[in-house]
Amino acid sequence: MADTALALPKRRVGKRSRFGENNLVGYLFISPWLVAFFLFAFIPMVASLGLAFTDYHILRGWNYIGLDNFHRMFYDDPRYWRSVQATVKYVLFAVPLRLVFALAVAMLLNTKRRGVALYRAAYYAPSVVGGSIAVAVMWREIFGREGLANFILNQFGEPSVWWLGNPDYAIWTLILLAAWQFGSPMLIFLAGLKQIPEQLYESASIDGANGFQKFFRITLPLLTPVIFFNLIMQLIAGFMTFTQAFVITNGSGRPLDTTLFYALYLYKRGFETYEMGYASAMAWVMLAVIAILTAIVFRTSSQWVYYEAQEGV
Amino acid sequence: MKNKKRLLFTLLVLVTLIFPSASVFSQDDKIELRIAWWGSQTRHDQTIAVIELYESMNPNVDIVYEFSNWDDHWTKLATQAAGGDLPDIIQHDYQRIQEWVGNDLLLPLDPFIESGVIDTTNIADASLAGGRVNGVLYGFNLGNNSETFIADVDAFQQAGIELPPADWTWQDFEEIALKLHEELGIYAIGGNLHLSEHWKGTYISCCNAYAYNAEGTGLGYTEDQDHFFVEYLEMILRLTEAGAIPTIEETLARTGTSVEDSYIVTQQAVMEYGWSNMLVAVWAAAGEERNFVELTVPSFADGYPRNYIKPSMFWSISKDSPNAEEAAKFINFFINSVEANEIMLAERGVPVSSAVREALQPRLGPAQQAMFEFLGVVEGYNSPIRPPDPPAHADINNNLYGPQVIEPILYGLMTPEEGVQLLRQEAEILLEQ
Amino acid sequence: MANITNQPTPSWLDRETARPTISWYQHKTVRALMYHGFVLLTTLVMIYPILWLFGSSLKGPDEIWTNQAALIPNDIKFENYVNGWKGFGGISFTTFYKNSFIYAGLGTLLTVSASAVVAYGFARVKFVGRRFWFGLMLTTLMLPIQVQIIPQYIIFNKLDWINTFYPLLLPRLGGQAFFIFMIVQFIRGIPNELDEAAMIDGCSKGGIFFRIILPQLKPAIITAALFSFYWTWEDFLTPLLYLNSPDLYTISLALRTFSAPSGSTDWGAIFAMSGLSLVPVFLIFIFFQRYLVQGIATTGLKG
Repeated sequence: MADTALALPKRRVGKRSRFGENNLVGYLFISPWLVAFFLFAFIPMVASLGLAFTDYHILRGWNYIGLDNFHRMFYDDPRYWRSVQATVKYVLFAVPLRLVFALAVAMLLNTKRRGVALYRAAYYAPSVVGGSIAVAVMWREIFGREGLANFILNQFGEPSVWWLGNPDYAIWTLILLAAWQFGSPMLIFLAGLKQIPEQLYESASIDGANGFQKFFRITLPLLTPVIFFNLIMQLIAGFMTFTQAFVITNGSGRPLDTTLFYALYLYKRGFETYEMGYASAMAWVMLAVIAILTAIVFRTSSQWVYYEAQEGV
Repeated sequence: MKNKKRLLFTLLVLVTLIFPSASVFSQDDKIELRIAWWGSQTRHDQTIAVIELYESMNPNVDIVYEFSNWDDHWTKLATQAAGGDLPDIIQHDYQRIQEWVGNDLLLPLDPFIESGVIDTTNIADASLAGGRVNGVLYGFNLGNNSETFIADVDAFQQAGIELPPADWTWQDFEEIALKLHEELGIYAIGGNLHLSEHWKGTYISCCNAYAYNAEGTGLGYTEDQDHFFVEYLEMILRLTEAGAIPTIEETLARTGTSVEDSYIVTQQAVMEYGWSNMLVAVWAAAGEERNFVELTVPSFADGYPRNYIKPSMFWSISKDSPNAEEAAKFINFFINSVEANEIMLAERGVPVSSAVREALQPRLGPAQQAMFEFLGVVEGYNSPIRPPDPPAHADINNNLYGPQVIEPILYGLMTPEEGVQLLRQEAEILLEQ
Repeated sequence: MANITNQPTPSWLDRETARPTISWYQHKTVRALMYHGFVLLTTLVMIYPILWLFGSSLKGPDEIWTNQAALIPNDIKFENYVNGWKGFGGISFTTFYKNSFIYAGLGTLLTVSASAVVAYGFARVKFVGRRFWFGLMLTTLMLPIQVQIIPQYIIFNKLDWINTFYPLLLPRLGGQAFFIFMIVQFIRGIPNELDEAAMIDGCSKGGIFFRIILPQLKPAIITAALFSFYWTWEDFLTPLLYLNSPDLYTISLALRTFSAPSGSTDWGAIFAMSGLSLVPVFLIFIFFQRYLVQGIATTGLKG
């Protein structure tokens, strides 16, 4: 059989000429997701979209009000813009920091040295505490008057600061928290690094390549699908950050709304004042923004992402 | 092969899950009540003990309980309300009950009092007043509370200052605070002087009015009364400047800290503002050897008493509860049973039944005693309780008062006059809706 | 030593010069020391807060807030663990652990299995509407859960699934967008040649999935499983809304109900239990480490 296979040109063998079959197979494979989507996700999503055009109050019910929510958001709500500001600032710093740390440490830990398993666990540890009450207390302690952060500040001759109460510094505690919890993208980078065949590095070494060249010519290009993934995921997650902000600022976004993340403000509108219609409107605006950003990253991906299996989306 | 095994395993486990591990014994003769409350570990343990006591005395009743912390409680309730799935008995709060009543989610309780299911012979009408919306009782008071400055007696002694009387004023307070700070080098009070309770309290005390008008459609004080709150804020600024109270930075950085970490417990402040039932937790955290007393909150000179008796929390019954009468019976037990209250020992506030209060006397620890004493003092010096806050209060408090008025003022970005004016402007808009 | 390559012998391997002339920083042991030293130091910085958590979990109530900065308490109190374990309302952490394991363990199993299957469909099978469904799947990630909670609750209420584990587990039979996307990306990193060879041999798409792709997806699957486990372990919102009886609570939920600002809280117990709740995730992490380590030795392409 192999002989006859070799006689055929490679390209044609790859495609099925009968479209129907592929469709069935395709849908069969994604059917679990499709079913779950229509059962559990479709209605809530559509419902929330509809509610965005109403004045839905959880305890009362709703009335159609057209674009009023959006009008109020953009023109009448100073807190809205502050929440946008806080979120954008956060994403601008937290996402790159996280990705850089994640990649750097993944490379560091991509080794067969002894004890590497423990190190990996240690670097992953911060992510595990997530947004629990424990992390809130820890963070308040570290950034408290007598905490580690001020200790370091003092070493540089700067006076102690109430980090969490200071309008200029409060958001940095959250950015640092995000950077500290880089375990997830790190693991993904690690898995991606593991997928790069050893021989490539070996051949390169034989050809006389040094560390830098290996990184930029082998590692980085082959890692681009994973970088792409992490970038998109971290962007989405960054914009939707809620738990950490909620737990550390005690749900308030203080001081002066500098830590009022978008998702936090959305939650407050939805569950503190029960204005779920307004919150839904906010949610869909955010979805639109994230979707556009993601689409942009996707579009540009053909320029810089290299897939072994040459198939676009 | 691996995945086929996985698939099989999954199916197997799913099958075993067909029987959910929830408490679903379909015993048709048992009445099932669902009850939800918020609190901390102590309250959970105590309440469950009371429930078990009730069940042992009423074997035909099965009470299924849910509890969470404050935030989660409301998130969950809202969701359940939207889903039409509320518990029978709900722990409710003075701040929120107006809104729930307005949306027809709670059952009036007067019929149960009239029919005698809930026995109110030992309960003063004033204690029930706080649970009435438009005259109808929707929430049953679980314990009386009042605003207080918890004071460290030993610290006062050390500074050589006498404990102030019930009718002390903000001028007295400022003097004492400065002196305490001078003598002891710590804060006179732990912070929290910026909360909206003080805004409301200002107008109770200066002008026998309130922040909101009776209908909840506008502010309850006039523009030429604005200056009272301005004066209050200016006092805070002066005291902060003098170092007698923590800066707003410090206070905000420490929001959400627990009782155990509060300044009065760690002896970095002489007083602490809170609700009177907080004393139990404070004393427990601080240790037996300390000495505390509860003081009234200062009033405005030539004004009215600042303190009012407020229900700490309520039991309400949801409108569509299928077992309303049984729920009412439980409430009656909770309020009137001496045995039940001996378990709880006034953790939710001073019991409203005088019979219960008497019966508890011998069992009271120093904290509870101080609390009972304090409520006694307040009974002699108080202003009447105002109607529950209008629904817009949540919006005003969370989105206007805090971040747009108080914080800018205390961070020095706005003068108190500007702030109070902004508050008036924006609050009126929100209240009109 | 015979010269097996045709390259000139590097000077440092030259037999005449007996000693290899490499710089000190290239020496194996030194490099090892440098590596471990650096990594250890940064590790300590990373886990300092967690060390603090465990340290505080051993402090008595008098020290927790007054001696905050110290990592090692003056007076070690192991009873925090005992007290914490008791939980509340007569429900101990044994129950909470059990519930958390059911939720996280089963949830992970379902999520990862389903996600892998779905991912293959998206990544390797061309079908009409593929792009559309993929895009739709991604957008489900972008809608904040807070605005979906209420409609979802109503759905589950109508199905009468409240106070059971069903709402927590059954939706996972469809996989989760995050993992589907992640595995898609990994599959794209696997060259097509093997697929094509298998197809020539008459293998169906399904066969390709099970025999060719899946084995190569090991790192991705392990990673996905780790994530899924820990995220599910941490999740409190779904348990909060759908589990009413405290004896169904997971650890994440239990820890939240422990404390209230105005009541007495046993912080030592909370820290102890929080610390303990990290342990299972760690153990699973360390245990599955080695599967992450095995990369793709060969791509089977060597001809």
